[in-house]
Amino acid sequence: MSAANAAPITATDSLTQALKANIIPNQEYLLQGSVLDSAVEVLLHRLRGLCDNVDAGPETFDDQEVCFSLRDPNQQAAPLMLRVRKALDARDMPFQLRYIGQPDLGDKNRPTVVRSSLDIACSGMLIEFLNELGCRIEFEYSVKGYMFRKGRMKITVAKVFKISQSAMPPEPISQSYLVELSVLAPTGQDAIAEDMRAFADQLRPLVQLDKIDYKRLGHMPS
Amino acid sequence: MGVTVLQQFPVPENKTGTYVIEMLSKRILALGATQQGQFLVDCESYLSHPQMGTTKTVHILHNSEQPASVFSILESGNKNIHVIADGLFDLFMIKLSQHYTSKKQTKIESKGPRFELGDFCIKLGSVTMNQSFKGILIEVEYRPCVTANAVWGLLREFLQGLLGSSTVIQPPQHLKNRMSEIYTPIDTVHQYLELFSAYRKTTALRVQ
Repeated sequence: MSAANAAPITATDSLTQALKANIIPNQEYLLQGSVLDSAVEVLLHRLRGLCDNVDAGPETFDDQEVCFSLRDPNQQAAPLMLRVRKALDARDMPFQLRYIGQPDLGDKNRPTVVRSSLDIACSGMLIEFLNELGCRIEFEYSVKGYMFRKGRMKITVAKVFKISQSAMPPEPISQSYLVELSVLAPTGQDAIAEDMRAFADQLRPLVQLDKIDYKRLGHMPS
Repeated sequence: MGVTVLQQFPVPENKTGTYVIEMLSKRILALGATQQGQFLVDCESYLSHPQMGTTKTVHILHNSEQPASVFSILESGNKNIHVIADGLFDLFMIKLSQHYTSKKQTKIESKGPRFELGDFCIKLGSVTMNQSFKGILIEVEYRPCVTANAVWGLLREFLQGLLGSSTVIQPPQHLKNRMSEIYTPIDTVHQYLELFSAYRKTTALRVQ
């Protein structure tokens, strides 16, 4: 009786415990690549052969993503980037709020990009909440494609579209599909990055998954 | 999930909070209720950085009745916008620490025994801010119903039976405009925030 009536643990305490035990998945290991529309079927076929969820066929998704920025009030740090995703094909699902930190590419021996990441399921008026919080919308797009799983790894093959302002069908941004291989894990589980590299090697030469350096892309002549 | 009413209970002169909680516990047990654990509702408020313009407040609340959720209410002018999120929202607030700073000294909570009596669930909370006692909040939930107007008469009668027939029981401010809407856990959280804010203000007056 006395144990059952013990005071509930506070949310702060349980979060501190989870942080100490290092069970919060706050790191994302990421590899990216792209494949031309004409070649995507071959890649999908290969993934169907390699991945876990093959019986039911690949899982499809159709999401809209809005990217927000929150400026540093002291103008010293880079703005905080936040992303909100909602499923267009499952409207009653919660919104996903994502904080993504600066990507760390490491040296050439590190197999994947590592970036800090927080994925939070949210309901309610999240967009309005972020607007009032002081965030500004930077850009938005929709992304439609397939999701595969291999153990803890997630593989998405998806096409990025501009948000259409009219009833016209959304316009694709390019003639290719974006391919991402990622794992969300607690800090320090670097062994998973090796598994990812091994898996990426199995997809060659259909797609070349790599550590993409956005800073260098930004300086490329357009 | 049913409809919940949160009611303040005045602590008589020369009596302590513990005494009142014990007295009410005895009354509830005499009605045939059984104690089912303890409960805790807490609230921490974050203020926006002065350079961000108009001051905005983000209130973060947790309720042991919904242990996997974090309730966040953003107060901006006369608008209140809420978001219900999973536990990692607390870590998100740490990421926002440059923009929103916690007013630690106003961290406030209500905790105490939780009773079940047939379709009712009763919680007797003593409210503390910074370890100092502020008052008593009584939460009564009628679980089989989801709209406040359908059950308001019953809840009022139950509360009067418990607190004495002379007690005037009004629907909480937050519920007044939502009596016919479907009641959800965020409505309970709004009621706590209303009363917590009132307790915080009384402190400020006493200090003056």
